[in-house]
Amino acid sequence: MLIPLSILSEFIFTEPFFIINITESSSISFVLILGVSIMSAIVIPMNVYRIKTLQKSTSKIGGSILGSIIGASAGICSCGPIGFSIISTFGTVAGTATAFLTNYEIPLRVGSIAILCLVYYTTTRSISSECKIS
Amino acid sequence: MNKKFALLIAFIALVVVVGITASSYYSTLLEMQQYKPNMTKQTPYINLENGSPVLGSKNAPITIIEFGDYQCEGCYYWFHNTRADIIDNYIEMGKAKLVFVDLPFLGHDSLTAAQATYCAEDQGRYWDYHNILYNFQEEIDNGWASKDRLIAFAYNLDMNLDEFNYCMDSSKYNKRVKANYDEAIKQGVEATPTFIIITSDGTHTKIQGAQPYAAFLKVIEPLTSAIPIEQP
Repeated sequence: MLIPLSILSEFIFTEPFFIINITESSSISFVLILGVSIMSAIVIPMNVYRIKTLQKSTSKIGGSILGSIIGASAGICSCGPIGFSIISTFGTVAGTATAFLTNYEIPLRVGSIAILCLVYYTTTRSISSECKIS
Repeated sequence: MNKKFALLIAFIALVVVVGITASSYYSTLLEMQQYKPNMTKQTPYINLENGSPVLGSKNAPITIIEFGDYQCEGCYYWFHNTRADIIDNYIEMGKAKLVFVDLPFLGHDSLTAAQATYCAEDQGRYWDYHNILYNFQEEIDNGWASKDRLIAFAYNLDMNLDEFNYCMDSSKYNKRVKANYDEAIKQGVEATPTFIIITSDGTHTKIQGAQPYAAFLKVIEPLTSAIPIEQP
């Protein structure tokens, strides 16, 4: 998740050369992407394990996926190819939506990390209690 | 069992027939596309008539075209992190010139901000106004580039406000900005900022995104190594 998000947020460029570019002003954004990627990488497999191995309900994985989606879509540069094609296709409404995601990038990513942390906490507790030998 | 087997064979046959038909159609479509002009591909000629005035020497052998939006965050980053190095090392050295072409798509204020720059051009202040927009950029359509703010920027630059207001109210440069937008689309630009670097022999290189100076160095330096320095 880190690599695609970094490409979409223009921290990594592949054309015409491969370049990694993290400026001082965008370092916070990069750190948040790192946080979202790490938490998603931890939480989603945990919940998949819960569902597949412990045969538990799918409710908690919804939270982890929601957190990941919010964290991933926030700040994806609306001036990049994805934002451009969305705005070109769907017009003003899409422009408003992408502008929101761009303007509130940091709060949205912080929020998604918080959601993922909460899901991590509840999933850990759930797995701990479900795996107890009675 | 025989009935199930027959159904399975029929299903496989159907999949094979559909697959062959689809691939045949697809390959025909590909052939047809070769004969269709693809308007999104880069054309050899880029119409800069409606773009900004040239920054640098008009005789500079390398042209750097920037397609941008005044509300684009990436354009802001490039303006503040990379542009100065390009100006210092290439434009002021007479090796390259810069032209800005509007691609206003992010919000309503993008369009009016672009128009305002050409109203500033009427008073010979295009690049000053261009710079002030990128220095004061805020969130998309939050009012930082509202009409009142655009007038305030003109006031800050000691421009003739009557002329500026008349230009803005009459939407004098609406068509010019639209023409730039259309040219950008025709050139296959799908993000801002996008740069097309053109040498004197017509070779194009595209750089998409707010890439650092190192990317421009790698592209432009080999092109300039054989060019004698010409002061603007």
